[in-house]
This record gives sequence, structure tokens and C-alpha cells, in this order.
Amino acid sequence: MADLPGTQTLPQIDVEEKLKSAFSRGWSVIVWNDPVNLMDYVVYVFKTVLKMNEKDASRHMWEVHQKGKSLVARETREKSELLVHRLRSFGLNATMEQEPA
Amino acid sequence: MTSAQIEPGQWRLSFNEAETGFVLNTLAHLGRHYQDDIAKMPPALRAYWQGNISSAPGTPGKEVRELQADLTEARAELRAERLALVENWLREYELSEQRDPWQVELTTAERDEFIAMLNDRRMALALELGITEDDMETDLGEVRTEARRNGILEIDVLGHFILIMLGPQIYRG
Repeated sequence: MADLPGTQTLPQIDVEEKLKSAFSRGWSVIVWNDPVNLMDYVVYVFKTVLKMNEKDASRHMWEVHQKGKSLVARETREKSELLVHRLRSFGLNATMEQEPA
Repeated sequence: MTSAQIEPGQWRLSFNEAETGFVLNTLAHLGRHYQDDIAKMPPALRAYWQGNISSAPGTPGKEVRELQADLTEARAELRAERLALVENWLREYELSEQRDPWQVELTTAERDEFIAMLNDRRMALALELGITEDDMETDLGEVRTEARRNGILEIDVLGHFILIMLGPQIYRG
């Protein structure tokens, strides 16, 4: 089918992918407490990997320290997976969970 | 040890003779550690290098298996990359003409990798020896075994090195 003047037909696969992505459930990235990582180091990792500002990085660090864990990001599966790998490469215990339906 | 930013994105680390010996010892341990068979490691250390990517029991099995396989592969690659970095560091030392102080120039990315490697050593010591937060607060004279005393001391010194490198970026709250 020819496009109307001034319009463009998007490939069907793109539309389907975008709809699937928009309605799919997100994934949570969680960082767990451990006995060795320094508080300053954890703040630094949150700023470096999660691009948090000082205030948010400090707040999440305290949550990890006091409550044993903190939900630090909500992302797509792919982005969450990348963040978990990066956080772990810095020695933090990070996991990911799919959000409830 | 000192850490100075010599230009944007470029750092110079400087170690005196004793600190150099300490770092070389740590690198030697790390070199062996990155080559160790994960399957033969104590459970806590094995979990550090493999671990579960999801702590949620409800997450679909197939997806978790895929994620777990990706994580296992990424962790294995990371160990190989860090082993190569350890070898580079040791080669740099062998080639250096000035060793007191020993000076190393790094990009920010290389410095971050070095920090993460020192942190691997801290984590490995703690997990292998079962060192807890309370142990880190204990007077060294009260620690029963020499291995634990040395472990706590090394964790502490490496933490000090890390904080020096993080410098003014660190949390001051």
C-alpha cells in the first residue's frame, strides 16, 4: 500500500516491538548489604554505574546499610541485566526481579 | 600512597617502597585468584563469582535461566580480563626504572578497574575467612588467628588505598 503524501509506514515489526516493550512488566534492580564494601565506595559505585546524584546515591547506600537492601533502579530486562552485571563488576551484590503483574 | 589528577581523565598514583610491596603482594594473590577454579572455591566465594541473578521465587524459570547463564558468562569474562590487567600491572612494575616511589599513570577508566580489583581482593579475603562487619571493628590484638588478623589488616589497608583514589568524589555526609 502506498503511503499518503507526508506520511510514512513504519515496519510492522517495529510497532509490535514498541507495543510489547511499552506494556511489558519492568524489572527491579536490588543491591544487598555485605560486610566489607565501604560506604563511600558504594556511593561512588551508585554514582558511576547508576548515574545517581550525591544525595540519591547516599540515600540508597544508607538504605542498603540499614535495611539490608535497596531497590536502586526499575528498567527493562536488558537494561536491568546490564546494570546488575556492572554493579557486580564493582563487587556489589546486585540481583534483579520482575515486577508483579 | 598518593593519587593526583594530572589532567582531566588522567591520574598519577604514587606508592612508597612499603606500599609498593603491599600492592605487588595483593596483585600476586589476585592473579592466582582469577585463575582458581570457581567450582573448588568455598561456597561464599563461589557465590561472589557466580551467585544468583534473581532472588525472587516467582520469576519465570526460563527467563531466570537465561539471565543466569548470561551472568555466569560475564563473570568468567571479567575474571579473564582482570587477570590480563594484573599481568599488565606486574609487567609495568618490572619495566619501571624508578621504584621508590613507584609511579603509575592511569586513565579514569583504568583507575576504576584498579579500584574494583582491589575491592575483589577485599571481598575474597572477607568471604574466604568469614570476616564480618563486627570483625572489622574488633581490636586486631583480640583476633584469634594470624590468618584472620592479616586478612583484616589487608582489607583495611586496601580500603584506605581505595578511599585515597576516590578522593574528593567520596561521600562526606
